[in-house]
Amino acid sequence: MRLHRRDYLRGAGGAALSALMAKHSNPAAAQSRANTLRHITGATISSLDPTFQGATRESLPLSVNIYDRLVSMGRRQGPHGFIFDADNLRGELAERIDRSSDGLTFTFHIREGATWHDGSPVEVQDIKWSLDRAVTARSFAKAQMAIGSQTSTDQFTVVGDRQLQIKLDRPNRLALLTLSVPFLPMFNSKLAQRHAGSDDPWAINWLKDNAAGGGAYSVESNRPGQQVVLRRNDRWKNGPDGALPFFQRIIIQTVPDVSARVSLVERGDADLTLDAAASDIPGIEQRGRARVLPITQTNAFQCVSFNVRTAPFDDVRVRKAVAAALPYDDMFTAAIFGRGQPLYGATWSEPPSPSVFQPMPNRTDLEKARELLREAGRGGGFRTTFSYPSSASATVDPMAALIKESLARLNIDVTVQKMPDAQFTTMLVERRLAMFFDFGTSWLTPSDYIASNFYSGPGRWNSSGWNNPEMPGLIEQARYETRQDAYDDTVMRMVRHIRDEVPVVLLWHPSHDAVVGRDIEGYTYWFHRGADYRDLRRA
Amino acid sequence: MSATVQHVVWTIRANPVTGVAAAGLAVLLVLAVFGPWLQPHDPLASNVSMALLPPSSQYWAGTDQLGRDIFSRLIAATRLDLAIAASAVSLSFLAGTFIGSIAGYMGGRLDRVVGSVVDVLMAFPLFVMAMALVAVLGNRVENIILATAFINLPFYIRFSRAEVNARRGLGWVEAARACGDSHLKIVLCSLVPNILPAMAIQVSLNLGWAILNAAGLSFLGLGITAPTAEWGIMVAEGARFILSGHWWLVAFPGAALMLTVLCFNLLGDGLRDILDPRMRT
Amino acid sequence: MRGIVRVSSRIAHRLLASLPALVGVLVFTFLLMRVLPGDPAVFFASSPTAGPEEIQQIRVSMGLDRSIPEQLVLYLRDVLTGNLGRSMSTGQPVATDLAQRLPASLELTLAALVLALACAIPLGVMAALRPGSAVDHGVRLLCSIGVCAPTFVCGLVLIYVFYVVLGIAPDPTGRIGAFDAPPPDITGLLLVDYALVGDFESWLSAVSQLILPAVTMALFVLAPLARMTRASMLIALGSDFIRTARSVGLPPFKVIVGYGLRNALLPIITITGVVFSTMLGANVLVEKVFAWPGVGSYALDALVSSDYAPVQGFVLLMAMIFVVVNLTIDTLYGFADPRVSLR
Repeated sequence: MRLHRRDYLRGAGGAALSALMAKHSNPAAAQSRANTLRHITGATISSLDPTFQGATRESLPLSVNIYDRLVSMGRRQGPHGFIFDADNLRGELAERIDRSSDGLTFTFHIREGATWHDGSPVEVQDIKWSLDRAVTARSFAKAQMAIGSQTSTDQFTVVGDRQLQIKLDRPNRLALLTLSVPFLPMFNSKLAQRHAGSDDPWAINWLKDNAAGGGAYSVESNRPGQQVVLRRNDRWKNGPDGALPFFQRIIIQTVPDVSARVSLVERGDADLTLDAAASDIPGIEQRGRARVLPITQTNAFQCVSFNVRTAPFDDVRVRKAVAAALPYDDMFTAAIFGRGQPLYGATWSEPPSPSVFQPMPNRTDLEKARELLREAGRGGGFRTTFSYPSSASATVDPMAALIKESLARLNIDVTVQKMPDAQFTTMLVERRLAMFFDFGTSWLTPSDYIASNFYSGPGRWNSSGWNNPEMPGLIEQARYETRQDAYDDTVMRMVRHIRDEVPVVLLWHPSHDAVVGRDIEGYTYWFHRGADYRDLRRA
Repeated sequence: MSATVQHVVWTIRANPVTGVAAAGLAVLLVLAVFGPWLQPHDPLASNVSMALLPPSSQYWAGTDQLGRDIFSRLIAATRLDLAIAASAVSLSFLAGTFIGSIAGYMGGRLDRVVGSVVDVLMAFPLFVMAMALVAVLGNRVENIILATAFINLPFYIRFSRAEVNARRGLGWVEAARACGDSHLKIVLCSLVPNILPAMAIQVSLNLGWAILNAAGLSFLGLGITAPTAEWGIMVAEGARFILSGHWWLVAFPGAALMLTVLCFNLLGDGLRDILDPRMRT
Repeated sequence: MRGIVRVSSRIAHRLLASLPALVGVLVFTFLLMRVLPGDPAVFFASSPTAGPEEIQQIRVSMGLDRSIPEQLVLYLRDVLTGNLGRSMSTGQPVATDLAQRLPASLELTLAALVLALACAIPLGVMAALRPGSAVDHGVRLLCSIGVCAPTFVCGLVLIYVFYVVLGIAPDPTGRIGAFDAPPPDITGLLLVDYALVGDFESWLSAVSQLILPAVTMALFVLAPLARMTRASMLIALGSDFIRTARSVGLPPFKVIVGYGLRNALLPIITITGVVFSTMLGANVLVEKVFAWPGVGSYALDALVSSDYAPVQGFVLLMAMIFVVVNLTIDTLYGFADPRVSLR
């Protein structure tokens, strides 16, 4: 038994030892608590490799802490906390990036002295391997790279000891930006290749459960579905000013109940939890034991979407009628407690800004709705359904009740359908829903990217199935457009189409509502909606 | 007949709890039948400006997130919850008794087949099974009833099978057979009525269980869908507000659930006292 | 010696006889999962850039591109070799996941059972001593209330009172305090493992994590246990040997516990077995409310995301436990009472 205990102490490492030997009042424990960040999440991390097909959403932000990418977005101070800044790209694993004047060639200079977690130096071949993997292996990275016009291994050439070039066919606004998302981790190729097989040349199976990175944190332990523990990589020097992150240890724990997660932070047992339930927030703010950071997710939206391919919502007048009958203000108050930024209620007839995400001229106006329905020949109303996934219950339960009530005034009889998430997604992709709740997050914020994901194509995220013949052309034109005014002009045309045809009714940008302990500083809202532990410190 | 009445009166007097439970059930039935006329407010009408008000003289049980009157919703839910429980239990009672008594009467290979099917069903984690069924069929009221009925089925089959099996060799069954009655007639007209009293106790206890089951499904998001008023989903919705101190959202529907199930269980016990005093535990 | 051989051959026979039921469970669950209206490949291809191509690739990697009979045969073959498939949501083999989570469920269920027995037996005995008295009715009412309170309401109320308001209970977030190191994996039951390595501080903290969920579950099963105790005690206390023991002037405690309860134990063991296997499958709600990393919540999450393999594995595991528990009870029964034959 003696032996067991010793093994166990050695295995768990120093931090565990101090946590174990000395709890509550002991200074050593207090020290370890101060250097440890405990993040409580509701989700499961299914894969350490963010590009793994089937990785859960929460696996992606985690990877940012473990793997460095070539480039990274910066951050700026917003009214309620830091927010990512896509206009301010910096090199992460690349020390310097040269862009040719024609915008076709990017040269990356790998950071001097950068190492992987195992101590071996980062070499340019590792970068080449990682990029090749991204465009070749069966992973989520492939489609992402295609958006940045990077589809073939021929486009990546090693041009020096520490230099690698990416060549494009034509200038693409997203070419560099796309390299900053979690799908583009840089792998320690020597380590990964040791675990690759002939049937798995890109080590997909091994990387799913093992990390081969050089990021700010390494994985100390991983119990999928329960807890992941990260330890700081003290050799890491790829941060904004080469500084090490504050926290030496990160514990990420899964707790399914959202209120319990908040409770933990309030009692000081945990330091951070994201996406608090709107219903809990007034209480948290009133008690003041934890801080709520109501950062607006300007790259995310919630909406009511229509299946524009089948009756009755194939008729734009019916869609417009519903858009004029939704009880926007009541939904905003009751469903999300006013936390967020409305994307409804605008009064413009010409879009005031070249952005796909802006308040649209949808307002509650039952008279107008009735008239539109009469015009569509549906003055007598109709029966339809409003569906949503059960994971969105907290927000949509009240919304559904309000929508049902409001549309009943137009004799539209709405049956509310809440379904298991997988069923909802399947029915959505198969276009078998009628009217439904949807949401989306756009990692990259240029309007052409948003439009290509959410307003065109056969994918899941074009939830309405909208198929405007002009949109694909406009998106392509914008993506390769180098002049800003021409770009803005194209975006304006997209916005007009969206306004005229209302494939979805945008409701609002939801609020991120990170709940942090009172002594936690530096929290940043990232486009991937997860926590980047490198930003955080304890006051 | 009067002896029966006397016995009933005597049992209730000996155990007043049964009387209370019967009265409780009567109240529930009144609420279920006359609910729409007894609700002080419209259970579905929202009024966002009156959201989350604590209990008051106007809103006896407070209001919820959308400003709906919780008291009215509780009353409106009575009918649905009782209806779900009653239909689920009658469904499994009818089907289970039918299958079970025929198997028990016929014996032989049929009995063995039914027996092993029941074994398979009993080996399932039944609540998870109900969840899966609802997920497969879609969460509409009729499917929740079906799922609840289905997971009750093995108990009824097993029970009636054993009871009938014990009686099939008795004199009066032989007599009926000698008279030339068909097997079906013997089972339905002689044997089933004979085991009914014992089944009635089972039914009463089962009703409570069915209500809990349906509420549990709603709580997990695999049951009734909002905005319908149903106790389980009211608890689930209210659970989001426990932390913020709005206790009335959970407390009242939770209490309604509990009292209803309590009524059925106590009544089941009382029924057992009346029908078969020896079985009392 | 011959006795042991006989018993073990009977056990083997019983296990063999339960095989058809297990296969039935397996096939039924498999088919049930396949008619779930959600497509797991679509669900897990929810990345912003995933299109039909990615969906198809995931489908192939999950083997969903084959016909259903083919999938069933492959699945049965895999199960025979101990491979229960891979969970999409955790990315781990289902067998690994279940092995990691079963101890959590077992520990919770056992703790709840011990707690429930510790309350139910004295209550049942007390009620049986004075049938029809106020104590009897009180016990009956208490049991009824326990069985009537929906477990999820009970759990929520306990969390609210003991964690949120009073702050006595630890946070309802699983099995070990966040800053405790997990013990080495010996049995997987934390209380046993901590005791084995002699870490009593962590042992206490694990106990404090366990109390609320265990109480919630115990309340629910109090009724059948207490009632069975009362009934079989009534029978035992009415028998001749008790009257004899009383008449020779043995102390009441010895009569009741030493003779009465001992003879009343058999039915209690049976009902305990039944209760145990139901609890293990039915604690989904408790696990959900207390974030208990057990097999129930695992199955629930898998079900919502149409993740087939974990649900199938879970159901199979539960069915196997059901068989084993029944067998154990029967065997115990056979040993305890030679009149009962083990068929």
